[in-house]
Amino acid sequence: MKKKWLLGAASVMMVAGLLAGCGSDNGGNNGGNGNANGGATEGNGAQSAGGSDAGSGTGEKIKLTLWGAVPEEAGAQAVLDDWNKANPDIQVEYVRYVNDDPGNLKLDTALLTGQDADLYMNYTLNRLQKRVDAGTAVDLSGSGYDIDGQMGPDAAQWKIGGKYYGIPTKKNMGFIWLNKKMLDDAGLPVPPIDWTWSDLRDYAKKLTKDGVYGLLQHDAMFTATIDGTVAGLGLTKPDGSSNFDNDLWKQQFQILHDMMFVDKSTPEYGEQLTSKMPVDTMFLQGEAAMLSAGEFIFRNANNLKDYPHDFQIAFATIPKVTADQKDYKYAGGLGDVLSVNAKSKHQEAALKFAEWYADGGMLPMASGGRIPSSKSVDNKQAMDLMLKGVEDKYDADSMNKVVFGSFPSFQLAVPQQVLDARKEEYEKYFLNKQDLDTTLANMAKEHEELTKK
Amino acid sequence: MKRRGWVQRQGWVGYAFVLPNMLGILIFLILPALFSFGLMFTDYQFSNPRWSFTGLDNLRRLFGDDNFYDSLKHTGIFLLSVPAALVLAFLVALVLNRSVYLKGLLRGMFFLPYISSGVAVAFVWMLLFQPSHGPINEALRWLGVVSPPGWFADSGSAMYAIDVVQVWFMLGYNMIIYLAALQEVSAEQLEAARIDGASTRTITWRILWPLVSPTTFLLLITGLIMTMKSFALIQAITQGGPSGSTTILSLFVYKTAFSYYEMGYASTISWFLFACIFAITLIQWIGQKRWVHY
Repeated sequence: MKKKWLLGAASVMMVAGLLAGCGSDNGGNNGGNGNANGGATEGNGAQSAGGSDAGSGTGEKIKLTLWGAVPEEAGAQAVLDDWNKANPDIQVEYVRYVNDDPGNLKLDTALLTGQDADLYMNYTLNRLQKRVDAGTAVDLSGSGYDIDGQMGPDAAQWKIGGKYYGIPTKKNMGFIWLNKKMLDDAGLPVPPIDWTWSDLRDYAKKLTKDGVYGLLQHDAMFTATIDGTVAGLGLTKPDGSSNFDNDLWKQQFQILHDMMFVDKSTPEYGEQLTSKMPVDTMFLQGEAAMLSAGEFIFRNANNLKDYPHDFQIAFATIPKVTADQKDYKYAGGLGDVLSVNAKSKHQEAALKFAEWYADGGMLPMASGGRIPSSKSVDNKQAMDLMLKGVEDKYDADSMNKVVFGSFPSFQLAVPQQVLDARKEEYEKYFLNKQDLDTTLANMAKEHEELTKK
Repeated sequence: MKRRGWVQRQGWVGYAFVLPNMLGILIFLILPALFSFGLMFTDYQFSNPRWSFTGLDNLRRLFGDDNFYDSLKHTGIFLLSVPAALVLAFLVALVLNRSVYLKGLLRGMFFLPYISSGVAVAFVWMLLFQPSHGPINEALRWLGVVSPPGWFADSGSAMYAIDVVQVWFMLGYNMIIYLAALQEVSAEQLEAARIDGASTRTITWRILWPLVSPTTFLLLITGLIMTMKSFALIQAITQGGPSGSTTILSLFVYKTAFSYYEMGYASTISWFLFACIFAITLIQWIGQKRWVHY
């Protein structure tokens, strides 16, 4: 009996198999191939993993991975090539991530696994804070590298809980780029260091012509003045309530609003937002007389081939709101904070690289505007690298005063949620959906609510 | 006894065949879904090892969150694009179902948006809708409109401008499905109606529209689900702005999870989104008896 059943079952299955085979020949084959391929790739995976293990065992070569947002061709690869040539036993590989939400998410995921991310760059205090919370940044206090001594007093803005979790490596700079030719034509001198937004408004008004904006602002600089203002005033008032409704903000917003809608000397907010204006290109093409932006513009401004321009560029500070404003801080300080992943297996080697990078290894990136902050680097050398061949394109006097001058600076320690909520409110004002007083009140309210939690 | 043994054995073989697929679904779909359900009751932040159970705090926070109600409203406006696209697609399909010149070319043109890259399309629309010198506003000004809308640049109109793009996007797909449905309609029925003296209008809305109602139902359900979940289009055009006016639920989830890393709260919002989709589908399923004719 049993055998008969087996036979029956077998024959049924064979017939079924044949039918299936005839019915969907392609499907069957594809399925089979798919499985075979799957097996093969798994095999390969295992092999290559074994291979790399063997490699590290015999040569004792350490392989590190550095994550940064600077494109390879903007000097990052040149930096690593220098290091790799000099240190055959510690090879560093570069992974470029884009400094936006998806990019940072990718980095944070890699950091958690501890694989393929030994060193990484932080660009904002917010992000570094998250990484410290996650336990993926090594406390560098005990490393023996004197960050305060090497980088100067501004470095302390990057301390979290009194400790360094990364080495600030470059000078951050934010200023107003001026088209000197347009200034001269309008009979305007290069503005003084302590100019105000009212002065800026006058300048912009006089410089606005058909097809030329008086002022353009890069996204990153839009809040430079209000941030610098609360950095001095304090984020909260003495009674603990939010300082986001202070009178200086009100004045600055009002001036900017007037520039957009009364003077028309700067693009209307909505238009700039949705047309994704390439502000740097526009400035370099002579479509704007002034540009509020950071040092990252040097990358394009020095590139006369793709961005040809015949005018000299002069510099001014990002103005304060009123002449008697006290404690105004300037966009700047230090940036590019290099951290070592606490989950990395080669922390010592990583730290060695980080120190080398900070103390001059990063120089090939100077041409893109990244001036090392370490005192071990000759400032003159970095400047020469940055301005090589284009010295005559800049107004030396204002450059020395503004770009290489030193100003009280800040790093804003405000959570991203608060910044986004603030943006949502001031956007309503600049889109004429909400009056200024309501806007300020809402910003303060949101700030209090979000930080209460 | 023996009979059951055989059945059991064959059953085992069957399970073995579906196992690889089921394993994939289990690992990549069901487990993460269960995991996110669990996250709902925690204050877990991505990458932060410290977290605790917070019970229903996330839900409480959700229903007290103005941003949530705003995004719910924006989702509602966004969903308007689904019926709009359906009706338009039906009309286009009607025309293209008759003998018109360049029928093939026109069908292709209407279908083109559906197969083009979403992000590229987004940039084209941004140029078209550019408020000061975009072609659409130039044309409106030429027609005598003094202050044309700011489209994406204005928090009042941005969501509707997105609707326009979404309708344009869905039109081709809906049209193709409708075309197929219209070709199923038997010529005899239409002839009979015409002999009885029915006008084109009557034929369209009293005969054709009910006859394709199963198609409408299918497109409505899938359209609503797709639209509620859709994300790329808005992310590419406005990133939820200006001043949050195009932040629909799915963008709200994205921002909370991947910008603020608040995974617990983000899970709560996504489960709410799921509940919405489920409820809408259920209501339609029940409501279909009233207007869908098989």
